[in-house]
Amino acid sequence: MSETLEAKRDCAEARAALEEYLHNELCAEDAADVRAHLETCEECSAEHHVGEMLTAALQGACKDRAPEELRERLLASLRAARAQHS
Amino acid sequence: MPTATLDSPAMASERTEAEKRDDFTEQAMQYADQLYAAAMRMTRNPADAADLVQETLLKAYAAYDSFKQGTNLRAWLYRIQTNTYINTYRKQQRRPFEAPLDDMEEWQVGDADSITATSARSAEAEAIHRMPSGAVKDALQAVPEDFRMAVYWVDVEGLSYAETAEVMETPVGTVMSRLHRGRKLLRGLLADYAREQGIGVQDANPKEKQP
Repeated sequence: MSETLEAKRDCAEARAALEEYLHNELCAEDAADVRAHLETCEECSAEHHVGEMLTAALQGACKDRAPEELRERLLASLRAARAQHS
Repeated sequence: MPTATLDSPAMASERTEAEKRDDFTEQAMQYADQLYAAAMRMTRNPADAADLVQETLLKAYAAYDSFKQGTNLRAWLYRIQTNTYINTYRKQQRRPFEAPLDDMEEWQVGDADSITATSARSAEAEAIHRMPSGAVKDALQAVPEDFRMAVYWVDVEGLSYAETAEVMETPVGTVMSRLHRGRKLLRGLLADYAREQGIGVQDANPKEKQP
């Protein structure tokens, strides 16, 4: 197999596993393979970086907090349910 | 006489129902923010989200006997919330913002596999990084529900694929494909937003210029 073809195959394999890699779903051995590929391949590494940024952006965007009045409502309704139960 | 440790079965069985239920309230309330955030992703409005969380906690309270102590309370609550949402809210809700999937696919940037080169990807990463969180949230809310929630559970809540599969009551393979699809749609939506706002993203799929 030519070098280019082999490189392409490595990229394809890494790309296919990138999402699982990002989410820590790969076994240690597979994760090490992907990590090693990312160290040598600028393009796959850039693709991985997009994935990381996407996850970080989502985490930053979804920080809703339960309003105080909802908390009070929840506690009151759980108390009422308990009174009913006992 | 040997003293029983707190978590020994003997002690546990001596705990009254009432104590267990007090314990539930305390534990469940720790997840109020997370349940509310997930409910906002599902219902997309604060009033329905608040109602959904309340209903979820009441159902969980009633079913607490069936919860296996020592297993993941958070995932258990999410599953109850998911079911409650599907059974009560989804049916009644008007969903004006939900674009049919076919429409959305046109918005996607080309398959990331080959078209974009390293520099375009770096620009994309940078644009996502600089994206206002309101725009990210809007994009997520525009993604069809099953894809949106898979992304939410895994990327925001940090559930494993297996936990997400339990919450969504689907096989792990379905979680993976929903997640992949959802993330891809999001990238397309965010790239569109960046282009509209003039945040530098190289166009992966240059359209013909209007004369």
